[in-house]
Amino acid sequence: MLSNFQDQFASLTVGGLSLGFIYVLIALGYTMVYGVLRMINFANSEVFMYGTFATIIVIRDLFGFTQQSEPATGFRLVYILFLCLIASMLMSGILSIFLELVAYRRLRNRGSNKLAPLISAIGMSIVLAEFMRILTDSRYVGSPRVMEKKSLGTFFGAELRLDNVIIIVAGLILFVSLSQFVQRTRLGKAIRAVSMNEDAAKLMGVNLNFVVSGTFLVGGLMTGAAGFFYVLKYENTSFNIGFELGIAAFTAAILGGIGNIKGAFYGGIALGLLETYASFFLGTQWKAVTVFIVLVFVLYFRPNGVFGEAITQTRA
Amino acid sequence: MFNLRDWGAGVWERSGRPVRVLIALGAIAAAASLPLLGGTFLNTPIADYGSVLVFPVAIFVIMALGLNIVIGKSGLLDLGYVAFFAIGAYTMGILGTKTGLNSWEILPIGIAMAMFAGLILGVPALRLRGDYLAIITLGFGEIVRITALNLNSIGGANGIVGIPTPPTIFGLEYTFDNHRLYFWTFLIIILLTIWMIRRLSVRRAGRAWESIRQDEDAAELMGVPTFRYKIWAFVLGASVGGAAGVLYASKTLFISPDNFTLQVSILILACVVFGGMGNIWGVVLGAIILGYLPDRIRFISDARLLVFGAVLVLMMNLRPDGLLPRKKREKALPEKGQS
Amino acid sequence: MSESILKLQNATMQFGGVVALNDVSFEIKKQEILGLIGPNGAGKTTVFNVITGVYQVTKGDITFEGKSLKGRKRYKITRGGVARTFQNIRLWGDMTALENVITATDTHKRSGLISGLFGLPISRREEKRDKARAQELLDFIGIGEYADRLAKNLPYGVQRRLEIARALGTEPKLLLLDEPAAGFNPAEKVELAKTIRKIRDAGYTVLLIEHDMSLVMGVSDRVVVIDFGQKIADDLPAKVQNDKRVIEAYLGVPEDAS
Repeated sequence: MLSNFQDQFASLTVGGLSLGFIYVLIALGYTMVYGVLRMINFANSEVFMYGTFATIIVIRDLFGFTQQSEPATGFRLVYILFLCLIASMLMSGILSIFLELVAYRRLRNRGSNKLAPLISAIGMSIVLAEFMRILTDSRYVGSPRVMEKKSLGTFFGAELRLDNVIIIVAGLILFVSLSQFVQRTRLGKAIRAVSMNEDAAKLMGVNLNFVVSGTFLVGGLMTGAAGFFYVLKYENTSFNIGFELGIAAFTAAILGGIGNIKGAFYGGIALGLLETYASFFLGTQWKAVTVFIVLVFVLYFRPNGVFGEAITQTRA
Repeated sequence: MFNLRDWGAGVWERSGRPVRVLIALGAIAAAASLPLLGGTFLNTPIADYGSVLVFPVAIFVIMALGLNIVIGKSGLLDLGYVAFFAIGAYTMGILGTKTGLNSWEILPIGIAMAMFAGLILGVPALRLRGDYLAIITLGFGEIVRITALNLNSIGGANGIVGIPTPPTIFGLEYTFDNHRLYFWTFLIIILLTIWMIRRLSVRRAGRAWESIRQDEDAAELMGVPTFRYKIWAFVLGASVGGAAGVLYASKTLFISPDNFTLQVSILILACVVFGGMGNIWGVVLGAIILGYLPDRIRFISDARLLVFGAVLVLMMNLRPDGLLPRKKREKALPEKGQS
Repeated sequence: MSESILKLQNATMQFGGVVALNDVSFEIKKQEILGLIGPNGAGKTTVFNVITGVYQVTKGDITFEGKSLKGRKRYKITRGGVARTFQNIRLWGDMTALENVITATDTHKRSGLISGLFGLPISRREEKRDKARAQELLDFIGIGEYADRLAKNLPYGVQRRLEIARALGTEPKLLLLDEPAAGFNPAEKVELAKTIRKIRDAGYTVLLIEHDMSLVMGVSDRVVVIDFGQKIADDLPAKVQNDKRVIEAYLGVPEDAS
């Protein structure tokens, strides 16, 4: 078993990294909203799920691919993949803004009890998932193969499959652009200002509603990109995948320290790798358990996550 | 705005002991006669009305009451409450099929098992606050379900079949379709639970939980042993969940991991918040409505969960404190129509 | 003078690179009113926080009645006889004034969940006694008439006083008041000074943080001044007022370019 693991270690790592980047991007959706509003955006998992469907719609309906079609190649492939990415990001970004408007805004401005937004989010999450369930007749939806998953060669014994490579490279680019966006742009700075101190930011003339919408948009865009990558990697989706991926990504966000963009990155990568290695040893059915047990340990010994603020810290 | 909760509390306070006893007896009688109303507009079009009253309605009420101790009273966000329900149900399933014990003998064991699980989970988790606690408890719920799913010795994905019904008492036979008898039995459990919670929440423990919910640091600095009280809340909540699990298993006679998904935790949480966190009557009302509604609106069949979700969103936006919010009224003030 | 009740010995509190308290030592004697003053950010509230166990001193020690408070749980410190109020009012808003105080008196109750559950006589007796005690404390502080109002609906001044009544509910030997007069008008301040003296005369020891000089100087038996986390004076009010370092700390030193 162990020698087997050594043989496969490099390949598992590549697969784990690509899964990790999917988590990173979804985790960004949770962590950005949490940073600004101190609230779990429970419905982000459905935002992700809709992102996966956007990609399938582009492949299947816009380009007319079927299960029998030949995979695309060359520039046409790049063009199609790029369109899929944009479509998924837009779908999720817009849905995310919409979600905030419908489910959270009123409650936020009223400053009512802390659980009300969470329940509202759960409600929205049910609505979105059920809507998709009815549309898809409760079935899994397969994606026609648009790209041949060929191996690009090996690297230190790791098989570099095209889809994994694309996810890792594109994921990294997206993450870096997001960090730059938050560091450099006006909206990004406003987002950071609000996460540090909402009242002070308001006094400094930050339009809170605008910043919150912006945060949901950016978080949604990242989550949508994850949707595209998911379809690229697994070639199917369904109305109920949001839950599993969402919980894992949220765990990743906490692992790294929620509210912290870097934390989402490390947490997502760590979780992706961990889950992949754990499935190798224990079988995939136990992977969720491993993840949660690790989470419990991390929280027990480092309640702030690895990079985050102290949630247990007392203020008096 | 008219506040039903305050109106009710007002009537209660103004009446003397005999009137109170009368009100209580009337309420119990009304609840007990629910199974007899199958012929009225209350009837559920597709599922059997009597069976809907037992599950989900009565079971939801018990669980919502238990979760309310954790969330409503002491403000701890528990998203894995289903775990205790599952532990109770599996205790019943395993002991009921493998030993000669009957439901009433297993009930305390199931409660104890759930309490023990609450303790195991609570000691590390209750050091954390708010959202972290939520995710840890959520994880716990999933761990319990996945463990049940993958342990073939307790049925794995197939679950446990052939769980025995409760033994006959006073000549009353618990047959599978004797829904009324089950309902009345569960009603007694509900009343006991309500009695326990009311007893606890008027005195010291109630105040300690209330202070923790409102400002935990201030509570600790005023000498309230917050950690101990949080554990108590958690373990008590777990005990009620465990009891609900044992009862559920002795009613359905078949359990599988599919009965204990995160959705159940979320539904129960929704019952609590929808009805009015922290207020027993609100929680009961919320559980009755959310347990009953999906079956009543089955005529819109496929879209009923969708409607359910939309109702939650609407409700939270219009009445974020639930149908019957917790106490807001001040005793000394004259009765005015203020909200 | 009588014996000391609380002693800070070289108490040092560091947050990362920031030294909030640097080697601070002073003591409070029984039934004394000790004023603790200093410019904003000098570390006064930090002193309260290390005494009540919110923070643990990084160096030095704090002893209460001869026993170290280091590593003791916060609620146990309170139960041991140290209670505080908060600079930014932290009452339990959805409870009535009376309930706020009763919750604090619970600190000294015997009966717990089990006896409460079965309504045992001990629990019922205690309940009655505590209610009476809480009302007594509200009357003592002069806000008895507000007993049944929700804390969050009380006027500001009453909330500040309720904080004191709540702290007294824990039956402390040492009472820490964190800016109890903040936002008060002159008449209210005079009232408060009377109340503080009354508290002392009832047998409590008081450590008072306050910005209002006339109040502190008027009511304190002794005054400790800290600045930038260091103690710079510890003397009778009249002497402290004329202390050169204290005046510098408050007015700034002209030739100090930094």
